[in-house]
Amino acid sequence: MAGSALRRLMAEYKQLTLNPPEGIIAGPINEENFFEWEALITGPEGTCFEGGVFPAKLIFPPDYPLSPPKMQFTCEMFHPNIYADGRVCISILHAPGDDPMGYESSAERWSPVQSVEKILLSVVSMLAEPNDESGANVDAAKMWRDDREEFEKIAQKLVRKTLGIPP
Amino acid sequence: MPMEFLGRLPIPNLRVYVTISVVILSFSIYYATQIIKDPAWKTNHTHVDVGLHSGGDIDPTDPRSLGTHLKELLECMVMEPVCVWTLVNTGYCMLILLGKTIQKLVFGELRASENYHLKDKFWNFLFYKFIFVFGVLNVQYMDEIVLWCVWFLALGFLSLLSQLCKDRFEYLSFSPTTPGWSHARLLVLLTAILVLSSFMLLFCIAAAFFFISFNTFAFMAAECILLGVRTIHVMLRYLIHLYDTRGAGTSTQRSWDKRGPLTYYTDLISELIVLAVDFFHHVHMLLWSNIFLSMASLVICMQLRYLFYEIQRRITKHRNYLAVLNHMEQNYPMASQDELAENSDNCAICWEKMESARKLPCTHLFHNSCLQSWLEQDTSCPTCRLGLSMQANHRENTLEIPPEPQTPTRRNSNHFFLFLDASRYVSWLPSFSVEVSHNRLRGNISTFTHTNSQMDAMARQVQLLFPHYPRSIILEDLRMTRSVEWTIENILDGVLTIPHHLIEEPQEESVPQMETIVTNIMPNSSIQNSSDPRFDIPIADSGEEPSSLGGRFSKSSAERELILQRRKEHMRLTARRRYLEKHRKSEIDSTNSQITNTENIENTIS
Repeated sequence: MAGSALRRLMAEYKQLTLNPPEGIIAGPINEENFFEWEALITGPEGTCFEGGVFPAKLIFPPDYPLSPPKMQFTCEMFHPNIYADGRVCISILHAPGDDPMGYESSAERWSPVQSVEKILLSVVSMLAEPNDESGANVDAAKMWRDDREEFEKIAQKLVRKTLGIPP
Repeated sequence: MPMEFLGRLPIPNLRVYVTISVVILSFSIYYATQIIKDPAWKTNHTHVDVGLHSGGDIDPTDPRSLGTHLKELLECMVMEPVCVWTLVNTGYCMLILLGKTIQKLVFGELRASENYHLKDKFWNFLFYKFIFVFGVLNVQYMDEIVLWCVWFLALGFLSLLSQLCKDRFEYLSFSPTTPGWSHARLLVLLTAILVLSSFMLLFCIAAAFFFISFNTFAFMAAECILLGVRTIHVMLRYLIHLYDTRGAGTSTQRSWDKRGPLTYYTDLISELIVLAVDFFHHVHMLLWSNIFLSMASLVICMQLRYLFYEIQRRITKHRNYLAVLNHMEQNYPMASQDELAENSDNCAICWEKMESARKLPCTHLFHNSCLQSWLEQDTSCPTCRLGLSMQANHRENTLEIPPEPQTPTRRNSNHFFLFLDASRYVSWLPSFSVEVSHNRLRGNISTFTHTNSQMDAMARQVQLLFPHYPRSIILEDLRMTRSVEWTIENILDGVLTIPHHLIEEPQEESVPQMETIVTNIMPNSSIQNSSDPRFDIPIADSGEEPSSLGGRFSKSSAERELILQRRKEHMRLTARRRYLEKHRKSEIDSTNSQITNTENIENTIS
């Protein structure tokens, strides 16, 4: 089981290294464990997360790509679709069977033709356009709807934090 | 759970335990020597106190030689209940030391999860064996208890080791770069466990002939068989895995279709054997313990229930497996050679080349085993999500969707199709402009089929014509096209571009650098002139990506790690610099506007 997952991860790593999508870096933290990756995601331009470099951890199951990996931001995040502990809640990361929010169509769910790159690109798009229907972080979703200015202020603070620039 | 509570008990560390054991052992030896100083100790050894007191004043002219002395000492220690326990404890202590040595030699530092499993298994073992000895067998005599203790000591030791091997194997299989000798050590250990467990089995068979009852034999043999089968299972999986990863390259391509079922049936058979043996072992225990209403039978019933559900679950899973297999064979034909040739893509599930494939109604092709394992958990096409009905009425309407008319193009665009998806996600990214060529470039990554030397030769040919193109880019395209002419055409058409991070890379192939004129996808921000003291960034890092970074996928894992690390650092630094620059600019703009404002005011005043 792990053998084919390993080969696939290796192929994805190679692809991400040779043809990195802009603003995204991902790879295993330590190659002794190829099933735990760290990804750096640049905040999309023209959004309140612009300029930030957000680190996240990806944990792959042994039967990857049949099951989706888990993704968790390791920096502080404030976003409607990111839980307070950093776990990312997007449909692409949910296996077809489980539906925590009870609204996603199975077409948006995980399938083995998805890849790390597609996940990360979806996360970038999620950063730009939060989906306030799925409230992983209810406070953030509320603020995003009602008080956009305050939300952007918090986001900019987070951006400075990830860059190590004092506010 | 008992082990959670027990896990919190204060257990002395190894050094303390060994010291205590040695002290206790020496005390008991001293005690025994005191006893055997009296030549008549054998007659009154049941009256220990008397023997001890009378042993205080013995004559120094003891006629017994040293050999008989030692023999008697041992005899006495075995006879004496306290001393026997000390001996068992000593044996246990030595086993722990042996285990520690093996751990040092084979495993090195244990990982947290391994430690946890080990502890869990240990307490579980202790708990169940306690129930077995006192609840089921209802052992009354001390020497019987001692015998069982010794037996379980050996058994528990081996099964803990086997558990450890299993954990470690699973961990090692997570890494592509494990050195061969660590596999070898693990395999040697596994073989040793297997040999020892078969010796133990032989021992019980021998014992059954001479002195133990059939029931006892069945109890002992079941445990040995369990241990043996588990070990064999780990070994088989290990060998398959090794064959899989070590024989990578040529042989794996061929064996791909066999590998899935092979692993599956190995797992199925050994799991079912283990479960069945365990089940009958427990039934036997339940029948043997003549007091049905006791705690022991309750615990055994719980265990039986668990085992029963496990067996049921495994069989359901296997039924599902067979149903999917059957369904696939009936409904999805194998793709013909023409279809395979038309479709140059890899299998979208494992990203490996397809030598044979199954075709879904939506004309998507996958490896047989890849598709099989996916369909076991979901009934839709991985690529286009077309619902595939497994049962007759299940999602029947979705299957009505007519297959795409233009089969080959659709098939070819597998990656393209998904790529469109991606571009939808990224469309708002201002600087992200991707051409079809980019897609072509990244479309295909893991064709390991062409031998490296062949590729290199082809790349060299191309590079003779286009020296400014980095070798890696050419190789990448060659992997796609597999022909020198096509790659040259790609370059001439401008389809093949050099990603900007490669432009500054000093080529090992001594490519002239001034010729790097090719399209820059991203606007390179002018970052070199950062003399502002607030930018506390070392100048050396500023500007271009460190040369050893992009465009290269090193063969050595250490180098890969290093490159990744550097790339990350570089990304952080660049982002930081950009951010600061932007904010400084806006600051300057605002101050500028202030200045002009004041100038204007001054002008108007004057």
